[in-house]
Amino acid sequence: MHDKRPLVGLLNNPVVPSVIRYVPDLVEYVDVIPDRLWYDFEHGEATGGRFHRVTGAIEELSECAQGRVLGGHGIGLSLPSAIPMDMAMVQAAASLARQLNFQWYSEHLSMFLVSKGSVPNSQAGLGLPVSYDDETFEIIRGKLEILKNSFSCGLLLENGALFTPVPDTEMSEPDFLNRLYLETGCGTLLDLHNLYVGLRNGDLSPVQYLEQINPESVQEIHLAGGHELAGFYTDSHSGLTPAEVWEWAYHFGPRFRNLRAIVFEFHESYIEKLGLKGIAGELERIHALAEAVASATVQHAASV
Amino acid sequence: MLVEFQQALADMVASPEFCRQVRVSPLVLRERYALSEREFERLIKMVNHKAMALNCMLYRANRLAPLAMNLHEFCTLLGTRLGPLLSEYAILYPNTNVHFYLECDRFCQFVRTKLREGYELEPEARAALEEEHAKIKMGLIASYTAV
Repeated sequence: MHDKRPLVGLLNNPVVPSVIRYVPDLVEYVDVIPDRLWYDFEHGEATGGRFHRVTGAIEELSECAQGRVLGGHGIGLSLPSAIPMDMAMVQAAASLARQLNFQWYSEHLSMFLVSKGSVPNSQAGLGLPVSYDDETFEIIRGKLEILKNSFSCGLLLENGALFTPVPDTEMSEPDFLNRLYLETGCGTLLDLHNLYVGLRNGDLSPVQYLEQINPESVQEIHLAGGHELAGFYTDSHSGLTPAEVWEWAYHFGPRFRNLRAIVFEFHESYIEKLGLKGIAGELERIHALAEAVASATVQHAASV
Repeated sequence: MLVEFQQALADMVASPEFCRQVRVSPLVLRERYALSEREFERLIKMVNHKAMALNCMLYRANRLAPLAMNLHEFCTLLGTRLGPLLSEYAILYPNTNVHFYLECDRFCQFVRTKLREGYELEPEARAALEEEHAKIKMGLIASYTAV
């Protein structure tokens, strides 16, 4: 195995330990959502601290982590929001990152918090779109500085599933991500299924997007499947990866020389539909992709 | 101001009724929020985007998710009554509590208050509410784990 071969993994959820027990050799990496490993008594209902840990899940995850790499994949910090950073949550996430030895930490390039409340994000995949302007860039830059000082690992931001993009922005999304990489060192978590969501709903050309993104910035890829709702295609993590997404992964993957992991995302509520066999099959396909990406990267390096 | 733009967008996504209002009378945005011309124009385009309806649906689905997961039997027995009840609840409590057990406990308290005020439920639905609320309370107590 080439040492640049990306790891193959899953986004953690309560079903993932069962998948790992079913096919231990197929899961090398786990993306951990810290927000699912604590009870957040954000309004002060609890005494003795705001974040109470889901100890059973953390213990199970620690067992699953033996021989595997873990990364953090947060939801709650909402970096693009024009409000101060939730420092208590930063500290809680950083503490988990140390305990579970996250190798890198990602957040979403979407908005979940506003000044007078939040946009719930339980399972239907709704994060609000971001204005790709200088003003937003400076907000995120400042918050990344805080995260750099709190986490002792690399940081990534993930492109969201956009249904109503903010129109007439100063930068495109790939330009925004490229600038973040160049000016702050924050890498890109490229969710290919989110590009597919944009394609299906008619607002995005994934190939153009992938031509535009700086290949050096891409350090993790997410694959997933969704379903239609009221005539729209959603990022519900309810199915297997669509064929177009595989094509993009094979075509563009070899360009991403800093790619460290390829992750399949599914929501636990769809386990009966997907089945352990279905998820294992998807992991096998991702292993083949990882091999192809690594081997193409080696050939490319040799030819340069 | 960006903070106002983001608030206005979140408010629209949370309320199909507000979206309709903005489509009919865009100036309501200026009355409620301090927006630049560019932010105002952007919001008008977004509220008229065909997928704004999907944003509203997903918002509501996300609010329903913790209730559907933890009060499954009660929600099933409510049937078509769940929609109006959820709308009323969302107006009274516009923000989700991210702790699912607290959110569900609050919803149960809301229904109990309505029952005291005369809202009618058949015995089977009342029993499901009692049973599932009791489980939520136990889950809530169990969630006071180590910090």
